[in-house]
Amino acid sequence: MFEYAVFFFFAAVAVIFALVVVLHRNPVVGALSLVVSFFALAVMYVLLDAPFLAALQVIVYAGAIMVLFLFVIMLLNLQHMSEPATRPIQQFLGYTTSAAFGIGLVYYLLKYAVFTALPSGPFHTEASAIGVALFESYVFPFEMVSILLLAAIVGALLLSARSVAPREVAP
Amino acid sequence: MIPTHYFLILSAILFAIGVCGVLTRRNGITIFMSIELMVNAVNLTFLAYARQFHQLHGLIFVFFVMAIAAAEAAVGLAIFISLFHHRETIDVDEANLMHW
Repeated sequence: MFEYAVFFFFAAVAVIFALVVVLHRNPVVGALSLVVSFFALAVMYVLLDAPFLAALQVIVYAGAIMVLFLFVIMLLNLQHMSEPATRPIQQFLGYTTSAAFGIGLVYYLLKYAVFTALPSGPFHTEASAIGVALFESYVFPFEMVSILLLAAIVGALLLSARSVAPREVAP
Repeated sequence: MIPTHYFLILSAILFAIGVCGVLTRRNGITIFMSIELMVNAVNLTFLAYARQFHQLHGLIFVFFVMAIAAAEAAVGLAIFISLFHHRETIDVDEANLMHW
């Protein structure tokens, strides 16, 4: 019973703050709400027997990625930028399409993806089990991800460098 | 123990909210945050199925998705900084030319 209470409370928190992200005009409020939503999702990961990934969620998402977002918002001074409500047809179509998409998704999940049999026995997902799987059967994707991160660092440095006029060659 | 489909439905709702943000907002940073929301909804689905079927593969995939989301956020925000330096706005409607 306690588990259900925790689940519904944090599910409500995640959904409400996700709605704030989408609907609020101020991107700073949106970023902070997204942090709260990610924390609620970390609680979901704990309920799903994955405490290691919950820690990763808090450190990587709520810690690193959202700080990057907030940093960029503050750097570009966007917190006062207003977003004039133009294109009402596009807005209306966006809201109705996403609402229909969500309702359809929930409907088909309830129709086809209801698992009556709960998984039995404990699910061992401690960091050592993940590490062994990562370095045995997933070694190649792991190395690919490291190369991808390196490429992302180089790309971010190149893109965010203030473009200067082509330097004149010294005589 | 909470049944798996509860988590799947929560994930579907969060994904639909993210889709709504991408379709209706024009602020580039907010669109990016909506994409992060969708990525997290998919992560929740991966973990729910991983527990249902007692497979570690779902957890490994979540690990990779987190790494790729970090790379994507770094490059995407760098693109927005570059766009802001050129256009003084990050309204995605303004970014309608391939060169500037």
